Amino acid sequence: MLPKPAFYFLLTLLALTMGCVREVALELPDVPTRIVALSHFTIGKPIQVEVSLSQKLTDAGDPVIPFNADVSIAVGGQFLDKLFRVVDAGGRTYWQSRDLVEVGTEYSLAVRIGGLETIEAVSSAPKPVPLAAVRVDTAQMVLTTLPDGKRVLRVPLQIQLAQSPNGNRFFAFALRHEIETFEIVNGEPVPDEYYEVQSKFLADGRTLALVYDTPEQVVLVNENYWSDNQNTLHLDAIVPFDPAYERPRQILVEWRTLSEEFYRYHLSLARQGNNIPLNDPDALYNNILGGYGNFSGYSALEYATAIPNAF
Amino acid sequence: MANRVFATLFVWILWCLPTADAQDSPHTRLFDFDCAACSPADALALLSRQSGVNIAFNTAFFRDCPPVTVSVRQEPFEILLGKITGCADLSYRWGTNQVVLYRKTRYFTLSGYVQDAETGERLIGASIRTRNSGAITNEFGFFSLTLESGEYRVTVSSIGYRPETQVLALESDRLMTFSLAPNSALPEVVVTAQPAGEASGTQDGGRHNLPFSATHGMPMPGGEADLLRLAAFQPGVQTGVDGLGGLHVRGGNADQNLFLLDDVPVYNPSHALGLFSVFNPSVVNSARLWKGDFPARYSGRVSSVLDVRTRDGHLRDHKAEVSVGLFAASATLEGPLKRDTSSFLLSGRTTYFGPWINYFSQRDNLLTFSGDNIAYRFYDANLKLNHIFSEKSRLYLSIYQGGDVFRNQFVQRFDNLEGTATDQYTLGSEWGNSIASLRWNYLIRNNLFSNTTVRFSRFFYQSRLTLRSTFLSASGRETLLANYGQLYQTLIEDWSGKTDFSYYPTNNLTLRWGVSYTLHAFQPGALSVNFLVPGQSPLAIDSLSQTLLNNERLGADEGDAYAEADWRFGNLWALEAGFNFSTFQVRNNVFRAPQPRIRLQFGKSTGWRTWAGYHRTAQFLHQIGSFNISLPFELWVPTTARVQPEHAWQVSGGIGFRRSGWDIQVEGYYKQLERVLTFLPSNTALLTGGAEDASGWEDRIAAGQGLTYGAELVVEKRFRSTLVSLVYAWSKSERQFPELNSGRVFPFRFDRRHDLKIVLEQRLAPWADVTLAWVYATGNPITLAGLKYQHHTPNGDIERNVFVYTDVNGYRLPPYHRLDVALNAHWGKQTLKHDLQLGVYNAYNRFNPFFLYVDAGSGTNAKAVQYTLLPLVPSFRYTLNF
Repeated sequence: MLPKPAFYFLLTLLALTMGCVREVALELPDVPTRIVALSHFTIGKPIQVEVSLSQKLTDAGDPVIPFNADVSIAVGGQFLDKLFRVVDAGGRTYWQSRDLVEVGTEYSLAVRIGGLETIEAVSSAPKPVPLAAVRVDTAQMVLTTLPDGKRVLRVPLQIQLAQSPNGNRFFAFALRHEIETFEIVNGEPVPDEYYEVQSKFLADGRTLALVYDTPEQVVLVNENYWSDNQNTLHLDAIVPFDPAYERPRQILVEWRTLSEEFYRYHLSLARQGNNIPLNDPDALYNNILGGYGNFSGYSALEYATAIPNAF
Repeated sequence: MANRVFATLFVWILWCLPTADAQDSPHTRLFDFDCAACSPADALALLSRQSGVNIAFNTAFFRDCPPVTVSVRQEPFEILLGKITGCADLSYRWGTNQVVLYRKTRYFTLSGYVQDAETGERLIGASIRTRNSGAITNEFGFFSLTLESGEYRVTVSSIGYRPETQVLALESDRLMTFSLAPNSALPEVVVTAQPAGEASGTQDGGRHNLPFSATHGMPMPGGEADLLRLAAFQPGVQTGVDGLGGLHVRGGNADQNLFLLDDVPVYNPSHALGLFSVFNPSVVNSARLWKGDFPARYSGRVSSVLDVRTRDGHLRDHKAEVSVGLFAASATLEGPLKRDTSSFLLSGRTTYFGPWINYFSQRDNLLTFSGDNIAYRFYDANLKLNHIFSEKSRLYLSIYQGGDVFRNQFVQRFDNLEGTATDQYTLGSEWGNSIASLRWNYLIRNNLFSNTTVRFSRFFYQSRLTLRSTFLSASGRETLLANYGQLYQTLIEDWSGKTDFSYYPTNNLTLRWGVSYTLHAFQPGALSVNFLVPGQSPLAIDSLSQTLLNNERLGADEGDAYAEADWRFGNLWALEAGFNFSTFQVRNNVFRAPQPRIRLQFGKSTGWRTWAGYHRTAQFLHQIGSFNISLPFELWVPTTARVQPEHAWQVSGGIGFRRSGWDIQVEGYYKQLERVLTFLPSNTALLTGGAEDASGWEDRIAAGQGLTYGAELVVEKRFRSTLVSLVYAWSKSERQFPELNSGRVFPFRFDRRHDLKIVLEQRLAPWADVTLAWVYATGNPITLAGLKYQHHTPNGDIERNVFVYTDVNGYRLPPYHRLDVALNAHWGKQTLKHDLQLGVYNAYNRFNPFFLYVDAGSGTNAKAVQYTLLPLVPSFRYTLNF
């Protein structure tokens, strides 16, 4: 990402304040340590909850993982499951349910740790809102050859909802493309394997203003996007490849229907700004009663559209 | 009516009448009358005898009358009376068998201009007073007084000038120009909330005349006199820290202030991000600030109006001024094109601020990049021409061109075993205002003044960024990897015309009305990018080459009509009532804003007085940006169907006392801002990076409410050679947006509970004075995180620190305070005058926080760093007038 003009102005300001920089001890209110729970769950999969303890701003080091945490799920006020702790191969620790998430079911999370306030949160995985189609406008596709011989294919996409969303209009998407690799055998290309990569994309100004990167590796679509009976996202996927041994095969779209808790949390994360001084961050959305983090559901549908073989 | 009858000798004539006619009414009887070469008094006596009617009159009525000869047959009494008294312009009243003659009341208009005796410069806000009446010159130095015929002692005065008294016989309408000589012996006023025009009695509380010429005495950074900094010394007016961030008047946003330069809106009133204003002190004639309670003739902003008028230029002699300060220098030349008929004023100012920045950045290497090369300068150029066609007609042409130019070039290098990659960034940014106005003053009647203006205003910002990436291999071969160009532009441009009328039917009533039309053109922000790589020019990826984002140009029509009345009645009451009706049309949507305004004052300009007012205002243009200081690349955008106009209403009331050198005022206000706007931050970057500043701006604006209230105190005491001024404001200002802070109310970013300014000016000698100014303010609220936690991506690859911002603006910076000291000396003669200022800004080197930055570093060692903008800064300015 290239810096914005603002960045340079701020550099100038910083230059002006040379010799006027002081480290200060923040006299922030003494906020007690609280439990942090993070979980984004979806239909047909177990609920996984990461539990940690909040840190002071000036704390160094990794957050504390409370291995003695008691994590449970309830539905309709009835105990459903006590989650068990998992440490995966990468060392990541989380608590996982035995039951799988069902669509529309409202799950209540409770995390108890001795000496700390118990936290509670509620969310559900909404019924997915399907897409009518993911279309490629082949007539508008553009292929550009780079000086090093590699190519970039620009693929215009229309991601159209089956109907204009009413009520909750919380969606996100992930855009990927699949590249087929091949070997030349006797002068003929022979498919070898496939791999997927996340696609960068272009869009018009309004669209770009209403989508947000998230840590979940999906792009959040602002609910305002769907005003004026808008039901289609127009994007141009950028697909780079090496024609010597690669060929674009298909565009993959993961279309997520979000709970409001998921949407609000990630929107507020996006609005915390880009860490530029003088930028006003927004308050962080929090649906964890007694603690911090986010407990929210979503549903996802996958769509694939072939890229014409001419390339 | 005072000199109507008394101070005269009455002659009573009583005559016995024939009884035969006693029963006939003298109204209906017909008379024969003969009188040859009689004085009117004798003729009246004769008529009285003949008619049997007592006639009462003053012989002085006929002092200048020639003898009359009347010879009539069978004429009514009243016709006879008229023929005898015709030369004296008298009227009469019937009593019981009696007629009383009296002089007809005749009113004449004394109107004209007040000007500087040396330069011919028209004086704004000068006072013209008789024993019982008074007037104030308007923004073109014009006044109008309607008086009964007679003799008057007229006293004309203006701050900084020797009062002038003339005895005038007013027997007809008179158009006069009064000339006042500057009075250098008076103590120079530094900061005051006292109105210059005391006669109207409606200038207290939220209205301030800024004695701008006196800013030369105020300590300012670098010694550069600055109008906006002076405005910030008024109660209820704040800037961001050390002047950055624009003006915030009574809890308003920076874009809610209307800055007028010779009647033309100025969209960017600052240089150097707010350190200096665009108003070159060498050309300013007057400046007036209204804090929300502005008259109906002003519209378009909801918080305040700063009306700045420039000087016309010397009508008699050629004069020059050269001024050199620590950061900037200016030169001004003025003089007559034709003596007493037309003149010019040409002034230029530029800065040598850039080398300072470059020096500090190189010295401290804060930017951490090698090869930093920063260049910055700003400039102002003013030209004013005026021509006097006649006493009733005058034409003015004002042109202003000013801007900022910023260049930065820096290099980043990355070494590895294979070689060195080099990224060379070059940024060039320019922004500025272009302003022009052509004004024609015409005096339609002695009490009806008109001004017609054609005006142009343009603000632009553009930034070019280029990146050239190369790789130098270990073998010494250099390869060009990327050549990227980006151009960002934003623009607002106005063409407008307006005409205003001022009508003075009586001394106690002034009526103003007018209409205006403005054609706006907006380019909220366009970004174009180009990738250039070797071998193909211009080409890399067609889809990105010359991409132009958000190149929409919007047009809008704005119309205004207003009427206002300034009425003084019952000696102690003053009513100012007005109504402004504005319309705004964009994309076939029409918005209308009726804005009633009223203000009532009771009391005298000296002694006790009290006032109260209600003012409603509307705003169709908005400046939006992501930062909490006002930056030039923030966008000016119009009201649209999705961005509704902002409205505000304010009620205010106060009490004041002025006598024996004391001036005390207390005013309270309550102000509601409706549909106040903010720009929502976003992290959208994706492939295009940086485009989000402008794209989809309508979707990124949130509308909310603002509430601000407070009390302001001004205490000023003037001694023989000392002036002490204390200005204190207590205020609370809040915002509420459904889309921010979870919908909860939060403090406005410039909410300062206490704001205190104390100024002491001591005249040391006729040629020297010292000024001390101490400022204290509650720290600004900011949003800081109290806690953090880590958020992992689903596969656990990436961890991100999430800072828990629980409340927007929930934390306060330490208090702001500083002491400024300036020593001013003036010497020389009229033909060669010297002014010198030596001073210190922030004398005790207080490290006031400009902002706090939580440096998260790698995510594990968060710390807060406080940045200060202006520590102790010496100031110096030398000005030579010849």
